[in-house]
Amino acid sequence: MLELLAFATLGVGMGVFTGLIPGVHVNNLTPMLVGLAAGSVLAPMNAIALIVAMMLTHTFIDYIPSTFLGVPEEDTALTVLPAHRMVLEGEGYEAVRLTALGSLGALMLSAALVGPLLLVIGPAYESINPHMHWLLLGIIAAMIVLERKPKAMLWAVAIFLLSGFLGVLALDTNLGVGDGMLMPLLGGLFGMSVLLVSMKGQGSLPKQHITEKPVEIRSSVKSVCTGTSAGMLTGIIPGVGPAQGTVLTQVATRSGGTRDFLVGVSGVNTAKALLSFVALYAIGRPRSGAAVAVGEIIDVGANELLLLIGIALFAGGLATIIHLRLGKLAAKHIQRLPYRAMCVVVMVSIVGISFHYAGLVGLLVLATATAIGLLPAAVGVKRTHCMGVIMLPCILYFAGLKGGLLSALGL
Amino acid sequence: VSEKSMTKLSLLCSLTGIAALYVGAIQARPSLTPIARINEDYVGLNAVISGQVIDLHEHPDGHLFLKLKDESGGVISVPVFARTRSELGEHIELLDNVQVLGQVELYNGELELVPDRAADIQVVHTPHLELSVIDEGCLGELVKTQGVIVERNIVGSGSLLLTLRENGAQLSVFAPASVVRGDGFPELHVGYTLRVSGLLQEYDEHLELKLGDPAHLGVIEGS
Repeated sequence: MLELLAFATLGVGMGVFTGLIPGVHVNNLTPMLVGLAAGSVLAPMNAIALIVAMMLTHTFIDYIPSTFLGVPEEDTALTVLPAHRMVLEGEGYEAVRLTALGSLGALMLSAALVGPLLLVIGPAYESINPHMHWLLLGIIAAMIVLERKPKAMLWAVAIFLLSGFLGVLALDTNLGVGDGMLMPLLGGLFGMSVLLVSMKGQGSLPKQHITEKPVEIRSSVKSVCTGTSAGMLTGIIPGVGPAQGTVLTQVATRSGGTRDFLVGVSGVNTAKALLSFVALYAIGRPRSGAAVAVGEIIDVGANELLLLIGIALFAGGLATIIHLRLGKLAAKHIQRLPYRAMCVVVMVSIVGISFHYAGLVGLLVLATATAIGLLPAAVGVKRTHCMGVIMLPCILYFAGLKGGLLSALGL
Repeated sequence: VSEKSMTKLSLLCSLTGIAALYVGAIQARPSLTPIARINEDYVGLNAVISGQVIDLHEHPDGHLFLKLKDESGGVISVPVFARTRSELGEHIELLDNVQVLGQVELYNGELELVPDRAADIQVVHTPHLELSVIDEGCLGELVKTQGVIVERNIVGSGSLLLTLRENGAQLSVFAPASVVRGDGFPELHVGYTLRVSGLLQEYDEHLELKLGDPAHLGVIEGS
C-alpha cells in the first residue's frame, strides 16, 4: 500500500511537470510507462498508480500556464479567455482558486456518483451514441441563437464553418498525423489571436491581488454539478472531448458569469479524467489516453476500479495543494515580468511547438487559425464559435457524413 | 488598424490559408500502399490497400474483422464496424479481394486499417473452386467451394462433419464444436446448398475442409 502511495506521489510530480509545460501532455509519457510495465521493470499496479495520479494532477495544474500565459491545450482552450481576463484585472490567483474548487469538487462528486453511474452508463451509452450529432447540433444552435442580433448570428455561423472546415482539412486528411495538428489549430484560434489582441496597449500585467478569504462554496455548487455532468458525458461518449463539454458548461452556466464558468469548466476536465476509467470498466471502452494505457496494463474489474478511484482522490488532494501554491507563486511574481515580451515569448513557443508537432504545414494551419481567431473580437461575437474546429468534424463523423464530404471535395 | 480593416484582413487571410491547405490536402491524397510497408509511422494517416481476405471473424455485435494479405507479403487487420457493414450491403467472404481506404490505427499493439464508411470498401468476389478440381495439390491452402449437403453427422463433443457433393464429386467439411457453438452458425440440413471456405487438410487419408469461424460458411439455398 505504501509503495502504491509512493508511486501515486511520483505520478503527482510528473503531472505537475506535464501540466506546467505547455505542449507536454500525459499521453507523451504513458507509452513509456506501459513499456516499463510490459517489461516487468514496473509492477502493473505501481504503473497504474503513476498513470492515474499523473493524469488527475495534469487536469489541475494545466490551468496555471493557460491562466497566466494564455497558452491553450485541447482541455483548456475555452478557459483561456475568461481566466486570462481575470489576470489582466489582477485576479489571477482568484482564477486559480476557482479552478481548484471546480476540479476538486467535480472529482469528489464524480467519485461519489460512480456507484449509481455504473447502473445507467451502459444503457445511456447505447441510447445517446446514435443521436450524438443531433445533440452537438443542438448545442451549436443554442450558441448561435444566444448572439441575439441577426448580423452577429451570421458572423457566428461563418466563424463556426470556417473553423470547422479548417478542422476537417487539418484533422481528417493526410496533411497531418494524428493529434499533431491540435496544437497549431488551438494555438491559433485561442492562443495567438488572444495574445495579439491583448498585447494592444498592455505594457505589463497588473499587480495580482492575493486573497486569503475562503472561497464561497455554496454559490459554486451548481457550477460544480454542471461541470461534473458535462465531464461525465465527455468521459463516456466517444469524440466528445473537454472542449465540447466546455461548450455545454458555457451554455449551462451562461447566466452565472466568469466565476461560475471557471468552476464549471475546470470540473469538466477532472470529472472526464476519472469517468474515462469508469467507462473502461463499465463499457470496456477507454475514453482517454491514460485509460487506454491502464487498459493495456491490467483488466479493470470492480476491485481495480475502487483502487483507481482511491488513487485519483489521493492525487486530487495533493494536486489541489500544489495547484494553489504554484498559482500563488505565479500570481506574486507575474507582474514583474514585461507583459509584451512575455506574450512574444509565449507566441514564439506556440510557433515552435506547432512546428515540432506538425512541421511546416502546421505553421500554415497556425497562421490560418490565428486569422480566424481574430475574427470574433473584430466583429464582436463570442470566441466559442471557433470550437467548430473540433465540433464540425465530430458532427460529420457521428452523422456518417465525413467520408461523403471528403469524397465530394476530392479529398 | 480599424475593426473593419481588421475583419477584412482576417477574413482574407483565413480564406487564403484554407484554400492553400485544401490544395495541399488534395496533393496528399493516399495512393495504393503495399501492406508490408505500413508500420507505426503510418499511425494516424489515411492509406489505401488492396489484398486478399485470409481470415475473417464475425463479432456477435455485427462487426466483421478481416485480415488482408497482398503481394508484398504483409498482413493487416481491417475492422469493419457494424454500422459500416450494414451500409456495405455486400457479403465479404474468405479469399475475396478487397480494396480499403481507411485510417491506420494501433489497437492492442497491432496495426489496423479502419474504414470510415462503406464506400471506402470495394469487394471483388473470387469464384469458388469446383469440388472436382480440389485435390492434394491444394493441401494446406485456403479453399472456397460450394456443394449440396448429402450427409450430416455430429462427431465427438458436438463437432459437425458434412459431406458436400457437386457434379458427382464429394468433399468432407469439418466444423469443430467451437465453431458450431459460435454465434451465427446456421441450422444445416441435408439438401442445403452451402458455400464454405477453409483450410484443406488430410484426415484419415481423406481430404477435408476445416472451418475456422461461423462466418466462413453461408447457406446459398435451403431445401
